[in-house]
Amino acid sequence: MGDSIIIENLTKYYNDFLALDKLTLRVPEGENIGLLGPNGAGKSTTLKILCALLNPSSGKAYVDGIDILKQPEKALSHIGAIIETPEFYSYLTPEDNLNYFGRLRGMKGEALAKRIKEVIALVKLEKWSKVKIEKFSRGMKQRLALAQSLLHDPPILILDEPGLGLDPRGLVEFREIISDAGKRKTVFFASHQLNEVALICDKVAIINNGQLLAYDSIASLEQKYQSLEQAYLQLTGGNIE
Amino acid sequence: MSDFEKLGVVIKYEFLKHLRRRRLYIILGIALLVEALALILIPVLRDGYPSDVTLMAGMLTVGPSLAAIGAIFFAGDAIAGEYEGKTGFLLFTNPIKRYVLWTGKYLAGFIAVAALIIFTYIIIAIALLVIYGEVPLAILGSFGLCVLYASATLSITFFFSAVSKGSMGATVMTLLFVWVISGIVESILAFTGNPYWFLISAGGDSIALPYGSLEQFMSGFGMGGHLADVMGNFEPLSIGMAVWGMLIYLVVGFVASIWISNRRQLA
Repeated sequence: MGDSIIIENLTKYYNDFLALDKLTLRVPEGENIGLLGPNGAGKSTTLKILCALLNPSSGKAYVDGIDILKQPEKALSHIGAIIETPEFYSYLTPEDNLNYFGRLRGMKGEALAKRIKEVIALVKLEKWSKVKIEKFSRGMKQRLALAQSLLHDPPILILDEPGLGLDPRGLVEFREIISDAGKRKTVFFASHQLNEVALICDKVAIINNGQLLAYDSIASLEQKYQSLEQAYLQLTGGNIE
Repeated sequence: MSDFEKLGVVIKYEFLKHLRRRRLYIILGIALLVEALALILIPVLRDGYPSDVTLMAGMLTVGPSLAAIGAIFFAGDAIAGEYEGKTGFLLFTNPIKRYVLWTGKYLAGFIAVAALIIFTYIIIAIALLVIYGEVPLAILGSFGLCVLYASATLSITFFFSAVSKGSMGATVMTLLFVWVISGIVESILAFTGNPYWFLISAGGDSIALPYGSLEQFMSGFGMGGHLADVMGNFEPLSIGMAVWGMLIYLVVGFVASIWISNRRQLA
């Protein structure tokens, strides 16, 4: 099996601020990898570049071997993503929104309608599928975001703080969905919640100031630093949010 | 899936968004209210409707003109809103070229505003038919100019939406540009005998021109006299030049908005 995601010397400046400093990382196919780091470490910037939302200042990024800079549409067809806390078109219903995004991905007809029902049921929003999203809580929008990321059954999931806004029950359900999806997909998952990452991912990459500090299995980091939390604290200089 | 098919999907769902929002119906309501006021107040204030059907038709173009201005409210958030409201985090992660997305949004806005314009012209045609028993053929020319004016206004709004951080800023900047700045400069240029066809407000004025010139309208309302002296230097607007002006805004505004939007990043 190859690498689903390849990041090579990725550098990103926001004016004079260096957000990513020659970051290099490979995410093997079928693995669930957590991306950890303090605020401003460069996690979201990395994921946004992988989703073609940002252009890097230099470096390369590949998704399933496709250069995200040269062929963004082709690369995006392999990805399901939740970036930050996304907002949906509030005057449309979940079904409308999912229909829109599904159609943009080439899905249509009965197959799309069936898949929309499946993912809405998966995130337990059946009763809300025909209600305008303007009435939704943050947690419900996050559930819907998870539904849209799974809609086209992509081989790669890129998730940036996907548990934000979810209540404890929602977090457990979310974890089960991602864990189940992760058995068949590559998951690249940025979060501050170390316990969530530990429950979902096999390996973690810890970054700070745009640089890779460690990239290892959770078991190996726990052996080396006593716990994942200690590894995170020691590697990122004791700064924890 | 081809870009053309994706364009169709964007148009369909962006138009659905317009249908689900209140602003479409608010603009329609305002345009109809203005038409109703014109139909009620004109006979009250001047002892009946004008004898000339084209004069009345020209006066009723105020409704469609307002409907065309609705383009600003449809397009103000078309680009800026995706960044400001963070909906772009979902939309932009779909496999679609950005220019296809912006073009689809433009065409959806155009369909919405064109529907408003068609509706107001149907109202005008019915009113003229009831009052005069005829509808002047010039109404088709007026309709074409109104649609062109709406398209140009839509392009200008797209441009401001592309350069603005927020939807409100884009809407306000476009309104200021189209109604205030362009209107003031047009007045100055027109009454000092200089050409002003290149101003977007001139495009708005041209909507009534198929029914007759400004001088004809003024004399039709008995406003010759002193105003004739004031308008001594007035540079009349030709439909042809106004069309060129609007075409320039349409093309340049649209191309510039796509060029700028394609370079915008969602941080």
